[in-house]
Amino acid sequence: MKVSSWLLRWESFLLLNLAATLVWGAQASEYFLTASNISIALAGMIPVALIAIPMTLIIITGEIDISVGSIVGLCASAMAICLEQHLPVEVAMVIGLAVGTLCGIFNGVIIVGFGLPSLVVTIGTLALYRGIAQIILKERGVNAFPGWYQQLGFGTIGPTPIPWSVLIFLVVFAGFGFFLHMTSGGRAIYAIGNNKEAARYSGIFVERAVLSVFVACGTVSAIAAIVLTAYLASARSDTGVGLELQVITAVVLGGVNIFGGSGSLIGVLFALFVLAFVKNVLGLIGMTPEQQDIVTGAVLVGTLIVFGAWRNYRDIKTFFARRRVG
Amino acid sequence: MTISGDRSLARGSWLSAVFAAREAKLIAALLLICIGITLREPRFLTVSNLEQVVLSGTLVCIVALGQSLLILGRQIDLSVGAMVASSAFVSASWLAGHPDASLVYVFIIGTAVGLALGAGNALLAAGLRIPAIVATLGTLAIYRGGIIVYAGGQQISATILPDAYGDIASTRIAGQSPLVWIALVLTLLLGWLARNTRTGRNIYAIGSNTEGAEFAGIAVRRHIAYLFLLSGGLCGLTGVLWGARFGTVDAVIAPDLQLQTISAAVVGGVSIFGGSGSVYGAAIGAVIFVVLQNGVQLLGLDQFWIPALLGTAILATVIFYGQLTKRSDARLAARRKALLRREGRS
Repeated sequence: MKVSSWLLRWESFLLLNLAATLVWGAQASEYFLTASNISIALAGMIPVALIAIPMTLIIITGEIDISVGSIVGLCASAMAICLEQHLPVEVAMVIGLAVGTLCGIFNGVIIVGFGLPSLVVTIGTLALYRGIAQIILKERGVNAFPGWYQQLGFGTIGPTPIPWSVLIFLVVFAGFGFFLHMTSGGRAIYAIGNNKEAARYSGIFVERAVLSVFVACGTVSAIAAIVLTAYLASARSDTGVGLELQVITAVVLGGVNIFGGSGSLIGVLFALFVLAFVKNVLGLIGMTPEQQDIVTGAVLVGTLIVFGAWRNYRDIKTFFARRRVG
Repeated sequence: MTISGDRSLARGSWLSAVFAAREAKLIAALLLICIGITLREPRFLTVSNLEQVVLSGTLVCIVALGQSLLILGRQIDLSVGAMVASSAFVSASWLAGHPDASLVYVFIIGTAVGLALGAGNALLAAGLRIPAIVATLGTLAIYRGGIIVYAGGQQISATILPDAYGDIASTRIAGQSPLVWIALVLTLLLGWLARNTRTGRNIYAIGSNTEGAEFAGIAVRRHIAYLFLLSGGLCGLTGVLWGARFGTVDAVIAPDLQLQTISAAVVGGVSIFGGSGSVYGAAIGAVIFVVLQNGVQLLGLDQFWIPALLGTAILATVIFYGQLTKRSDARLAARRKALLRREGRS
């Protein structure tokens, strides 16, 4: 590959962005580059980062899942109910994973079985899952989590500053990365996003693939629910409200085409780093969470403008070329 | 593709056309829900309760009009709640500072705020061709964050606002609140414009096939910009009415408005793929939602049941419409086949 075309890749732009963020952070606060701060910055991002992985696959197939925040809330509520019944936390985790997987299966079966647009279906299940969470847990908060469980949230591995949750993320990331970029199943995901009909005529089981990515998203959302409840040391029915916006922001920022067919997990990983550090720096210089939201939104819109400007630049050039001819 | 409102498809008498319309089925569904609630809880039919239901429906309805037109043109606006909150807070805080000013200025300020924010969306989605769903996802964060920072945790309550402002919602014109009349007029007006003007038909064309519309000489980006401006303006107006209706305004009002309006449009039969459905349907969809919500409260169910019920309603309607579309597509395909066969023979 030529150097110039490599430099023009979206991932390179994100790396540049990341480097700029790191330099800016180091300038802004002396605490930024300490091991403990970076560990905090990463641990806070893990629930979003985990869900962003299967969401990347879903968006590449040309679908979307708006209900992930509610799946997290429902899993957290299910685990909370288990703890209230004095079941061991291990059982609660298994039940949480089962609930998340079931939510994913339900999404996938309705979308694939009835051939419906995923945007509307998951808007419906967004309300449904959150509603079930509220019905079973009401306004109670449960925080009877054992110490080792809370370690999953921000405890670090032995003497190193690496949080346990980062390890969980890396395992999931490696698994999905291998599948998407190195197997024929992964290529099928891209094929479906580029042209569903053509993919079907090429012998790809489109329905099965779409169903699987939604199920995978449900399961990973359950893992994210475990990490998030451990991080917050509490489970409530409103756990994970609005998570879907952060997840989709990260995926789109990572250069994944919202209409499907292109994008890479590496890009999403870089985007997650950028978002985590930008948020961390903003917190360090004393911005409120609302102000941080403005900046995150501006980062998203700004990158999209750069993204769009590229395409528009070509159009403008042809426009003027045509003018000169005419 | 079926386009409701396409006159050539409606054969037979005027009456059968009315019964065939999707809106008629929606109203039938609405009546069924109302009858169901009334059977369990007769209080539903009292005048005061119905007034409350209609009044709560108006605000969602006005925003749903803009949202449904956007969806018809294959766009979407996730930032409506943030735009309503911005307009409501800015106009109410201006009014608190100028209690003697004419209310006309409040409406102008609120609508201007909405139009300006809508222009931001239009610039991104139409000007820079960023997909609407991600563009408005970004502006949702920016607008909501912006108004929260601007408000600084402040709350503007009815006590510091002039009484005339609250009277906008509480006076009665011909037995109904002016809010209801505004919503009704806007629904009929926009519904008529969408079906009967060139711009309206262009929007349907863009939603059915954006590329085809472009090749047919429709200025696609200009129409999309209009749609976002319209949605912003309607949100601005709703913001002003919101303050009048509820009295207390802060920066975090209307957090779920985008979901409510998209759901209203979807339940009202607007296809999420664009090009099919009607503004009237979305307005009826908004009313169905409010009736369901009211029913839950009247039947003494927990507030917690509302989202689960709404979710189920959305899923049930999309599955229903999905099956309906599939059947009508199959019928169209069969008719086309028969036509081709006949032509081949002659």
